[in-house]
Amino acid sequence: MKIDRRSLALGAAALTLPGLVRAQSGTIKFGFTAALTGPFNEFGEGINRGAQIAVEECNKAGGINGRMVELAEVLDDQLVPDRAVQNLRRILDNREIVGLMCPSGSGPTLAIADMIQADGRPIINPQAQTPTIVYPNGPDKPPRPNLFSISIGNLVESEKLAAALSEFTRIGILHESTGYGVTGADLVRREIMRRKPAARVTVESYNQRAQDMTAQLVRVQRANAEAMLVIGLGADFAVIRRNMSRLNINLALFGAAGAVTVPYIEGAGDLVAGTRAVNHAAFGRRPMHGAAQKFADLYRAKFGTDRWYGPDAANPLISLAGTVGSGYDCINLLIDAIRRVNSTAAADVVRALDQTKDYEGATISRISFTSQNHVALKLEDLGTYEMLKRGDRVVLELRD
Amino acid sequence: MDDFFFSLLLAGISVGAVYALIALGLNLTFWTTKTLNFGQGSLMMLCAMLTVFISSQGLAITLAVVGSLAIVAALGMFIERWTVRPALESSGGSMGWVVSTLGFGIFLQGMAAKYFGSQAVAFPDVVFTAQDFVTVFGQYISLQYLVVLAVAVALILAFELFIRRTVWGQAVHAVSLDPELALVQGIPVRRLILGSFMLSSILAGVAGVLIAQIGGTVDPAFGFDLVLLGFVAAVLGGMGSSLGALAGGLLVGVISKLVGGYVSTAAEHGIAFALLMLALAVRPQGLFGRPEVSKA
Repeated sequence: MKIDRRSLALGAAALTLPGLVRAQSGTIKFGFTAALTGPFNEFGEGINRGAQIAVEECNKAGGINGRMVELAEVLDDQLVPDRAVQNLRRILDNREIVGLMCPSGSGPTLAIADMIQADGRPIINPQAQTPTIVYPNGPDKPPRPNLFSISIGNLVESEKLAAALSEFTRIGILHESTGYGVTGADLVRREIMRRKPAARVTVESYNQRAQDMTAQLVRVQRANAEAMLVIGLGADFAVIRRNMSRLNINLALFGAAGAVTVPYIEGAGDLVAGTRAVNHAAFGRRPMHGAAQKFADLYRAKFGTDRWYGPDAANPLISLAGTVGSGYDCINLLIDAIRRVNSTAAADVVRALDQTKDYEGATISRISFTSQNHVALKLEDLGTYEMLKRGDRVVLELRD
Repeated sequence: MDDFFFSLLLAGISVGAVYALIALGLNLTFWTTKTLNFGQGSLMMLCAMLTVFISSQGLAITLAVVGSLAIVAALGMFIERWTVRPALESSGGSMGWVVSTLGFGIFLQGMAAKYFGSQAVAFPDVVFTAQDFVTVFGQYISLQYLVVLAVAVALILAFELFIRRTVWGQAVHAVSLDPELALVQGIPVRRLILGSFMLSSILAGVAGVLIAQIGGTVDPAFGFDLVLLGFVAAVLGGMGSSLGALAGGLLVGVISKLVGGYVSTAAEHGIAFALLMLALAVRPQGLFGRPEVSKA
């Protein structure tokens, strides 16, 4: 048998890149680590559900150019950064994984960001808000080449929150003591001061899961605040709201997107009425745009009107966008990129993601990236909502 | 009185009363076995979660609380029989009870996450809502805070009376001093130990229900931090003293809130704990404890 140089070279390449060869056959595999269990699993399990819907939808339509897709590695980190790092190591060891989704929070995502950047495979961030995840050297510097984001980033959210708070001069900010809370509070404070230099902003922090926030609240009250913004998660926001009621503190109350979730509504009950919050605008508009409505229908068909969707079949909870829809969009963006380049090689998929233009997502109606801009969410994608009590239900009405 | 100071004081007293209940629960098992149940936090969580679950099945909230307390009392017996007793009976004065009580607590946490879900669930208002209040001398006082304080103080005082004025209380006292001599005297030591774990678990359950009502939500990880503060209260008040538990709990609660209000909320526990360390350096046996004397 005659073996020429070209065949030898190809054979050697095949031996040294077994993952690449395997990836060209069989299913197209995705992976991620998220808080599937633990107290914050409304986010992790949420994006898992969104990813499942995206995969099923794709496979039902014949897959990507004939190849089925699969969530091959889905691991639980309970929002613990160390565990997220261990999980990602395992996922990256599987060379068949061609695309990933970031964990459901800033702490774990920051912990894995350098590792995934070094690996080079494409990854999309559904929920983590800290800007340094995408732009480690500052927002005016280039992004990590393979990390894209569709989350409600702190930068855009702070702009929207500052706009919503613009009618007030004395403002209190209560934030959780995590990276998400600290960065978010700092950005909102700066944005408020930029818009209104005479404003007085009092900033207080709390530890997640604290059962009493009296000290923080009375400090905000002593500063004669007219309005208060909470940057944290829903269960803690419920503690704050109930605490305000016990102390007879009546301020205009605002919440960041992470705060106005189901645990807040369940924990604070009727007290939530009047709370204003910034969140995805897509689920508050009527009619919802096509991709948002399709996603809501798919979710309801698979999981019913559950805790994530809410009790009203016609009107899914606004938080469904951030908790579940973002996972659905991440996987769909990877699928779209692979389909366009007809390749699963990391460099090709990253290049295709860089060229994403006006992709219709469920949470953001037009998603675009460029090599210099890896953040899809824009100011107009966010809305300011007010929580209202209608009968025995709490609804969020889009105000702006 | 200054509104700012009063709000901090009231909140400190209220959460401090819960720490006191936890401290009393820890004291109880310390008296009879010289051990502490580090799974107390999980019992607090379980009682609160069971209350939510049972009441969601349509039962009245008070019955749900009573039913949950009965279940955690039974678990208290289980803890004594299967986690503490084997460790104490093992040779070499094993400290295995620390690991086994803590381990059982983590096990309960896992079970709660599996069967009730790991997300925070809303805890129903048991007696009053967060909006109920009374006005005293122009001060706005939350009835939820008052209920927490009243229940905690009533339980601790009732317990103190029980120990001082009843035969069973004297028997507990005897066991705490010398269990072997108590056994020779015909005191049912084993039953008393079992009872102390049941009662300790009930106190943890009551504390769990009270604090869950304040926060409004409960999840499987609830309670662990509170046990640490309860432990500090017990040590500060003097290990083994009921009134010490009350004083220690109130002191930890009030100092934390005042530091949070007047100094910094970020330092709420840090500075408070530093002050407590100082207090213990001056009086190692705690406020109401007696110095231990060893006779050769």
